[in-house]
Amino acid sequence: MSTEITAGEETERGEAVERDRYDAVVIGAGISGIQSALDLGDQGYSVLLVEREPSIGGRMISLSKVFPTLDCASCITTPKMSAVARHPKVTILVNTEVERVADKDGEKEIELLRKPTYVDNRACIGCRLCEYACPVEVPDRFEQGLALTRAIAVPFTNAIPQKAVLDAEHCIFCGACARACPTDAIRYEQEPRRQTIRAGIVVAATGFKLNVGINKPQYQPKNPRNVISPLQMERLLAPHGPYGRVLRPSDGKIPESVAYVLCAGSRDKSIGVPYCSRVCCMYSIKQAMLLSGALPIADITIYYMDIRAFGKGFEEFYQNAKAMGIQFVRGKVARVNDGPNGDLILRVEMTEEDGRVEERQHDLVVLAYGIIPELESPEQVGLRAGSDGFLARPDSTRPAFAGIEGVFTAGCAAGPKDIVDSIIEAGAAASAGSAYLSQCASKTTKS
Amino acid sequence: MEPEKDEEAPKIGVYVCRCGGNISDVVDVERVAKTIAEMEGVAISKVHTFMCSDPGQSMIVEDIKKESLNRVVVASCSPFLHELTFRNAVQRGGLNPYLYDHVNIREQGSWAHKSDPEGATAKAIRLIAAGVEKVKHAEPLERIRLSNHQRALVLGGGAAGMKAALELARRGIPAVIIDKNAELGGHIKEWGKLFPTDEDGQTLAARLRSEVEAEKDIEVIAPAKVTKISGFVGNYDVAFERLGEGGKPGEEAKLTVGAIIVATGFEPYRPAEGEFGYRKTPRVMTMPEFIAWAGSQPNGRLTLDGREVRRVGFLHCVGSRQIEGVHKPQPDGRVNTYCSRVCCSTVLNQAVQVRKRFPSVSVLDFHQDIRSYGRGHEDYYIEASNRGVAFFRYHGDEPPEVATDAEGLVRLRMKDYLTWGEEIEASMDVLVLAVGMTPSPIGDLIDMLKLATGHDRFLQEVHPKLRPVESSVNGVFLAGTAQAPMTLEEALCSAGAAAAKAAALLGSEYVEVDPFVARVDEAKCTGCERCVEECAYSGAIVMVEKETEGGGKVKKAEVNAGLCAGCGACVAVCPTRAIDLRGWSLKEFDSMVDGLVSAAERLAAK
Repeated sequence: MSTEITAGEETERGEAVERDRYDAVVIGAGISGIQSALDLGDQGYSVLLVEREPSIGGRMISLSKVFPTLDCASCITTPKMSAVARHPKVTILVNTEVERVADKDGEKEIELLRKPTYVDNRACIGCRLCEYACPVEVPDRFEQGLALTRAIAVPFTNAIPQKAVLDAEHCIFCGACARACPTDAIRYEQEPRRQTIRAGIVVAATGFKLNVGINKPQYQPKNPRNVISPLQMERLLAPHGPYGRVLRPSDGKIPESVAYVLCAGSRDKSIGVPYCSRVCCMYSIKQAMLLSGALPIADITIYYMDIRAFGKGFEEFYQNAKAMGIQFVRGKVARVNDGPNGDLILRVEMTEEDGRVEERQHDLVVLAYGIIPELESPEQVGLRAGSDGFLARPDSTRPAFAGIEGVFTAGCAAGPKDIVDSIIEAGAAASAGSAYLSQCASKTTKS
Repeated sequence: MEPEKDEEAPKIGVYVCRCGGNISDVVDVERVAKTIAEMEGVAISKVHTFMCSDPGQSMIVEDIKKESLNRVVVASCSPFLHELTFRNAVQRGGLNPYLYDHVNIREQGSWAHKSDPEGATAKAIRLIAAGVEKVKHAEPLERIRLSNHQRALVLGGGAAGMKAALELARRGIPAVIIDKNAELGGHIKEWGKLFPTDEDGQTLAARLRSEVEAEKDIEVIAPAKVTKISGFVGNYDVAFERLGEGGKPGEEAKLTVGAIIVATGFEPYRPAEGEFGYRKTPRVMTMPEFIAWAGSQPNGRLTLDGREVRRVGFLHCVGSRQIEGVHKPQPDGRVNTYCSRVCCSTVLNQAVQVRKRFPSVSVLDFHQDIRSYGRGHEDYYIEASNRGVAFFRYHGDEPPEVATDAEGLVRLRMKDYLTWGEEIEASMDVLVLAVGMTPSPIGDLIDMLKLATGHDRFLQEVHPKLRPVESSVNGVFLAGTAQAPMTLEEALCSAGAAAAKAAALLGSEYVEVDPFVARVDEAKCTGCERCVEECAYSGAIVMVEKETEGGGKVKKAEVNAGLCAGCGACVAVCPTRAIDLRGWSLKEFDSMVDGLVSAAERLAAK
């Protein structure tokens, strides 16, 4: 069930899309999409920035600090989020899926599905009274499930927009939010709506996710509560994180011995991810450094195959970590087994020493899961995938080109990548896209 | 006489940021805000979790309107990160953006004094008090508008330079490429088949070159050498010299551009004589030398010096990942601590090619870590392993020893940590040194443009995430390996990103720059020229002859706003206090000192 929205019609969500054609549609409002939108907008092109989540900011806004400068991630992301949200040439649509990208009369046609949030965004003032009134507790996705939020809530402190979203899956329709709302913004009857947009170009910055659900029995102990993902550790380390400090999830114990298992979901043919995820070495080192600040007496061990500290300032960062006393043990962890009191026992061959197999006990284990594309079937939405499942990049002298006329790609949509490289690629996609738009315009003028 | 507008009573809004705990875990921000609220002229003093977030900024905008604030102070992180963010917020509130002061209580507060919350809190109060006193004397300023030459100069015609020029030209912005070599294409021409697509470097260079040639908005000046650059954003005057045969100086010429993209690239690391046997025997060669030599040999058998080559070794990290005290320093006294990023995959690619083209040649690989990080790179590692390449792992602080044996073959000794630290010794016909990247020797250019370099001697960006392709000089952008080692794909992306920034700048007929420049009070100026002598920015302050009322002539200092960097050197030397900096006046400094002292007294009294 859905209704068509036509251009110019002000929607219940207050995100009126003024027109039905933009110079560019950017898919995904993570750091890459935001940067592409800014770089296109700064050149005077009109941009529609489409995000499926309720806030822009992507993965980066949930990180603690970032390597190799140890800048706080919020400090870098929030100003870019704010700049794009206020940019006169950029319109943002959150809670919106791109269902199809197609060609139409030499341009792109983009079909959007605008998901209901059950809140009228024109009325919502982000006061959170609905959130405080809601009796239903649900895992907080922004906190990676480490904390609870309510079934209606503003996504997180520095979300853009600051608008409540109702989680229909968990809502019990008790009406508490509607009663609490001072502006009568709650709309239980809201339905999905479809909208078609025309654009000169598309920039696909659809990002990544971690292969947390991989079928790797060796890394699945019976009690996995103290085996966490690196994104969970980011939240534990964030100054405004779920507990305000680093505690292990099962019992709130302050960890004394933390292990990082690198390549837990990458460089492994058995799980279908033979490639390197490119960032795990560095974020593990960074987290280890932050942990040694947060937990000065804890032992931190990084189990690795190769330390891939390849970027600007990375090797020096790695050497600093070694000098700080972080333990680096070379060897791919064979098994993560249950230990006493929620601890875990890692089975590992000490390849740098005498090759003996050791069982080493840790009270918190971070598995460096592999990076896989967020967009599972690019072909289904009219985009092209490479053999590794990430978006295709068929032309080596035009790296931003995604293999379809007028479509460009940036960031982790086109393979795992750190933030610096993603931001640079976002600029490259904006540049290639604007060059294409410019060429199209001059062709039209001539003909 | 009517009171001037800036004499209206100050109504200052002060905002103290928690920075999500980065500040408030150490500094008692509530107490800070309360103490500052008592200061004269402070109308509002508030605390927020993330001042830079949208809700934080909106609070400033609304308070300016509701409370008719006429000055704003935010105490948060370094102004380097967010001064501009808050100036813009102040402007959106309807105030002049320069009626704002930014106080750093994170880098200079909570982070610096983690173990002293009381001290950090007191310091925050003092710093903010200084900011409050300063902002009382702030004047509304206008950004300086300069004319803009809407074309770009690209220095270097390698892959990155060509790409940057192409994207600008296709946007309708003319670009000029200056390269020291007659033929564009840089180093990719020399690297044979490139990972990760196995395309030939020469073919890719030729493709880019033909696109450049076909583009009417690109002018190529090569071979040529830049001799002088002066000017400022929007108005760079560039003098260059066309080079004749053998690099002989030829005709000189000039051009003016609005922006410069530095794409001067890299040079392969040149090992010192004797470093891993280099130049002691022709059997030790660098990676580029090997690629050129092996590329010229027919498939099948490989021979060197009339002798069949049976074994080729590749040694990683030559000239990279060096350790002080272990490796011999470079001529400038530093070691190359950085990783050169591309060498691992280059080795794997070459190892695979050797095994494919010369099946009888066995291949040994001596590495610290295999860093085949990029998309498609790991495939080369897998294929090299499948094709029987033998891998050995050494530790950086125990570099392999290389010697020649009685037969003239290369012998390499090392401890192998894939076999538990066992001492191994291997002899081979050829040892290839996988040399890293070093920046091109562009000392002249760095001096001319006053560019910043990092410890690794590569050009330094303003901030790796906020402004990754911008140099610290307004209107000068970085592309490709001049900034850091990169693969071809990465260099092309960086060129695109630089082109996007340059296009945004050059799209307008005017550029605007910050108004923080010197100004001269002619009544006080005695024409002593001390300021001109002290000025580090040629032409920023000059002496001009002016007519006096009596018809005589006097010399007075005059500032060129485009060239002035606002460093304040002239202010410091002026004996009559005739020079002042806009936005950083002597009066503002005096009042900051008053603020520091009065806050200290206030704290002591409590």
